[in-house]
Amino acid sequence: MSQPAARPPRTYVDFHILQTVPPANLNRDDQGNPKEAYYGGVRRSRVSSQAWKRATRTHFAERVPEQDLATRTRRILGALAEDIEKRAGLDRPAALRLADALLAPLELSGGKKKDESAYLLFYGRRQLDAVAALVADQATELSALSDADLASRVKELPVREQFSTGHPIDVALFGRMVADIPALKVDAAAQVAHALSTHAVELEFDYFTAVDDEQTDEETGAGMIGTIGFNSATLYRYASVGLHQLLDNLTDEEAALTAISEFATSFARSMPTGYQNSFAHRTLPSLVAVVVREDQPVNLVSAFEQPVAAPSGIAAASAARLAEEHTRATVAWGDAPAFAAATHVFTDHQKPTAALNSAFGPPIPFSALLEGLHTHLAGALKPKQAAQ
Amino acid sequence: MTTPAPEPAGNTHPSHGSDEPTVLLLRLAGPLQSWGVRSSFNRRDTGAEPTKSGVIGLLAAAAGHPREQPLGELADLTLGIRVDQPGTLLRDYHTVSDYRGRPLPQAGVSAKGIQKPTSPAKHTHVTTRFYLQDAVFVAALDGPPGLLTTLDRAVRNPAFPLALGRRSCPPTQPLSLGLRTTDMETALRSEPWQASAHTREQYARRLGRERGLHQPLHAGTIDCAATIEDPRGDDRLQDAPVSFDPHQRAFTSRQVRHAWLAIPTGFDHIDDDQPHGQADDPDHDPFALLGW
Repeated sequence: MSQPAARPPRTYVDFHILQTVPPANLNRDDQGNPKEAYYGGVRRSRVSSQAWKRATRTHFAERVPEQDLATRTRRILGALAEDIEKRAGLDRPAALRLADALLAPLELSGGKKKDESAYLLFYGRRQLDAVAALVADQATELSALSDADLASRVKELPVREQFSTGHPIDVALFGRMVADIPALKVDAAAQVAHALSTHAVELEFDYFTAVDDEQTDEETGAGMIGTIGFNSATLYRYASVGLHQLLDNLTDEEAALTAISEFATSFARSMPTGYQNSFAHRTLPSLVAVVVREDQPVNLVSAFEQPVAAPSGIAAASAARLAEEHTRATVAWGDAPAFAAATHVFTDHQKPTAALNSAFGPPIPFSALLEGLHTHLAGALKPKQAAQ
Repeated sequence: MTTPAPEPAGNTHPSHGSDEPTVLLLRLAGPLQSWGVRSSFNRRDTGAEPTKSGVIGLLAAAAGHPREQPLGELADLTLGIRVDQPGTLLRDYHTVSDYRGRPLPQAGVSAKGIQKPTSPAKHTHVTTRFYLQDAVFVAALDGPPGLLTTLDRAVRNPAFPLALGRRSCPPTQPLSLGLRTTDMETALRSEPWQASAHTREQYARRLGRERGLHQPLHAGTIDCAATIEDPRGDDRLQDAPVSFDPHQRAFTSRQVRHAWLAIPTGFDHIDDDQPHGQADDPDHDPFALLGW
């Protein structure tokens, strides 16, 4: 595979979230009980990665703004022209003209594709490479043709087929669904771990009886009895997004930065809806820490391998543990994060504040956190532009 | 998918002569792991130990190889696995549906390359996935020193996020334990026990009970199961990767031998360096069932 594109610097955006959930059953197995896992020798509450990804994805799809079609087309055009330029050694105007002819069958500027309702398709680096490869060996010959001849020649090339695997922005983040065909070559840029409770959890049962209000006096007893399994937990949730991979999937910096901000919002604020009418379990996180690293993603679940056993304030004790683990990992491996910030609800007279401040800096509102993250990532992409 | 230029395999450690055997040690630990052996369609199983395809896949991801790229010398690495904490099996009931409420697409594609929706409409697809929970392994890779040095660096600076067999199973740190200039078995024998604090204490309590003591006994060694690749081995596993290309995934078999290794526990103070003392009642330990 010849590779024209310069690879952006490796940038992983790690999200660490602590969230306390009241008695609930938000992700159940085929027995109807909340999912669980053993870790550090004790039983934990578990919410599977697929459950929280679905909640995130639903939240995400409702919010992602419509893209401005004209600028998107211009960006695809630019990226494709650059590709052709490097492969075939054409000059810029000729490459642009060729790219324009290749994109014509897609009717991008003509409006939306029929079968896509809400949002635009994106074309990843792979698809652009495949299209550029179609014309690489005949680029000079094609450039010499007149516009009409060029258009008819392009019609013979299987351009549409290469572009048929365009994907919306959420596929760039979350990858293919199980049922999608392997031809859609998109590797998810986001990695989401199963959420686990930071402490030992017991499965509890709610015994319920349902009584018919219109029951006659002759009949006694309940119309229906049963149990609902539930538990209550402070969950540690972890996700990591590779910015460089997202760029690869979208070939569009602005879209990639938007996707990260939207993912942060949706991952932090969404919640699986299982049994929500019985438990009304929707909460907001107690802590959202965002860490940008240029070496590797670091999952801090090891902070809770020894289960938290605080007589009161499990969330606060968990936050202190998380901050200490983050600091320890930074000291032990010498990999200082490029950016770290946290939004949390712990006040000054609670124990974890000092540890949190030294790990992630003083707490800031979530909107400020998103802004800071966006500014940092936009800066991180700058050297790449300078290199071109 | 872009490929970084291969880094020059410079030997950063002068002690690594090319004639000296070199081994890269990885600690594979996390709440969940899943090492599929014969997974297909709706049932995704896990083996009891990491597979060669899983470990090589992790290294290829770290080095930034796209799936289509030939494995090259990665496939020639030999693998040894040590079971520090076997973990237990977790069955995950997993349903798949389209979050927009549309019917799921058919498996095949139409002439236009479009996936049509299922008809009659199927909205939910059930899959069963198996995980190992609370398990810890040490993997040792034997190969050319230059390649292993590069891979050690790649694991610490991966191109793609790494996972323990499945994307939703990120590893905990440290993942790389670094390079050793010994042969594979010696490296696996001498690396201290990586199990969690809970498992270590459990082991000490059990030994104490077996000796009839009323307190835990911290032994110097523990016996761990190991599976070591060996052309003269007596067992065959079908998990050596040939290609990860989604259109032509292929595996081949490899010869391994199974062994028990007495490895250092790494307790702070050692009461007795022989775990196999005279037990009071070696045949019946009712508390073992309770995991005490």
